[in-house]
Amino acid sequence: MILADIYQLWSSAWPAGLTMLGLGSGFAVVLLIASIKLKVEIDPKIEQIHGALPNVDCGACGFAGCGQYAKAVSENPEFLGKCAPGGPETASKIALILNLQISDSGPPERPIVHCRANTADKTLYGKYKGIESCTAANSLANVQACKFGCLGFGDCTRACQFDALEMVDGLATVNYEKCTGCGACSRACPRNLIEMVPFAHEHMMTVACSNKETGKTARSMCKVGCIGCGLCAKKADTFSIEENLAHLDYKKYQPTEDTETAINKCPTCVIIYVGKSAPPPRQPAKKTAAAKT
Amino acid sequence: MDTLNILLVGFISIVIVNNLVFTKFLGICPYLGVSGRIDMAFGMGMAVTFVVTLSGTLTWLIDHLILMKMGLEVTRYVCFILVIAGAVQLVEMYIRKFFPSLYESFGIFLPLITTNCAILGLCLFINLWGIDNLLEAVVLSFGAGIGFTMAICIMAGIRENLNMADVPESLKGAPITLITAGLLTLAFMGFAGMIR
Repeated sequence: MILADIYQLWSSAWPAGLTMLGLGSGFAVVLLIASIKLKVEIDPKIEQIHGALPNVDCGACGFAGCGQYAKAVSENPEFLGKCAPGGPETASKIALILNLQISDSGPPERPIVHCRANTADKTLYGKYKGIESCTAANSLANVQACKFGCLGFGDCTRACQFDALEMVDGLATVNYEKCTGCGACSRACPRNLIEMVPFAHEHMMTVACSNKETGKTARSMCKVGCIGCGLCAKKADTFSIEENLAHLDYKKYQPTEDTETAINKCPTCVIIYVGKSAPPPRQPAKKTAAAKT
Repeated sequence: MDTLNILLVGFISIVIVNNLVFTKFLGICPYLGVSGRIDMAFGMGMAVTFVVTLSGTLTWLIDHLILMKMGLEVTRYVCFILVIAGAVQLVEMYIRKFFPSLYESFGIFLPLITTNCAILGLCLFINLWGIDNLLEAVVLSFGAGIGFTMAICIMAGIRENLNMADVPESLKGAPITLITAGLLTLAFMGFAGMIR
């Protein structure tokens, strides 16, 4: 009885199985022919390079994604070392694949935000209620008093793929532990506040302001803005004043006593340390009644 | 003239009245997933149109010439999926060979067409509606692809404008997209009963 059932099952199942097998092998043959006829020759080196890349498609190299960069770098070794998230490790891996000697490309670049104004430090004329984006807010003339400072709507935080930027009290703040230096934030900022700077040291000194107004105007707008007094330039020669704004030559910067004096003498505390384990910024002295007299 | 009439009515019916996305709720995954930008949506629509035309025709042929003759209608699902997967593979290889730039812009979405239920849905609907004419099956498959393209492009256009709109905090992102999809479907429900 059971044997008969099994036999019946088998007799009704085999045509189905055979048909499926036939159809499957038919398609397999078609696809096999197609894969031979339509074969695309790919340089195995490109695939190897693609494998060595971090595969985050951040666009720091200037190409649309890791695939395009792998192709470009295999054709033109000039592009070697453009991969910021991968850093020197990836560059040396690619160099190994391409049989190249790699020259030292210098310290990695990291973003620096040229503003340190928190919400309390800024002067606002009114409350902005438009689209929550810096690009949109920037097109409005008087969205905040300072035409140069951080708007705090977080275009840069949205651009960052590595979660390395966050808005802390109205100011974009870089988490240097997570940052890979791809530069997406620098491209996203409509006010060009974020500069990519070679980070030769664990933490860097920076002028955290972009305000080019004269001292009096700058002071009226922001409690922590650069007033262009030139004290830092007098104390250390890596500093210079251009258009009422202190500049630091990041390529020449070395932590010395002079720069230490400059940071301590700055009247508005606009020169700060950024980077991993950076000392907290000096707070501007509160104008107490005693100070006024 | 009569054939032409039937084909034309069938085409309009599948594009507007029986649109797979709007009235059958098939292919919702790419409809919501790839409708961020109009150019991407249009590319996806074109790829789906191609695959659905090819697989609709092939499945009709296999269904009528092999499965029905041998009484193996139960294996329809498996066979149809086989055909769709094969067609997608073929399309992928073809596009990669002859249109490398298009291939790169599609990226992952090309293989994902295999799992687009609108395609399997249409192949099964052709059978369900009892289409016994190859030409009609081809026209219906092509119309389904065009209908999908239209739906995804309308959605992408709305979503591009929605980015600029002042959406309440709790509705941002997926919720407002789903609400939009619902309203769009309601609008197209108005065509129901026009033809067939």
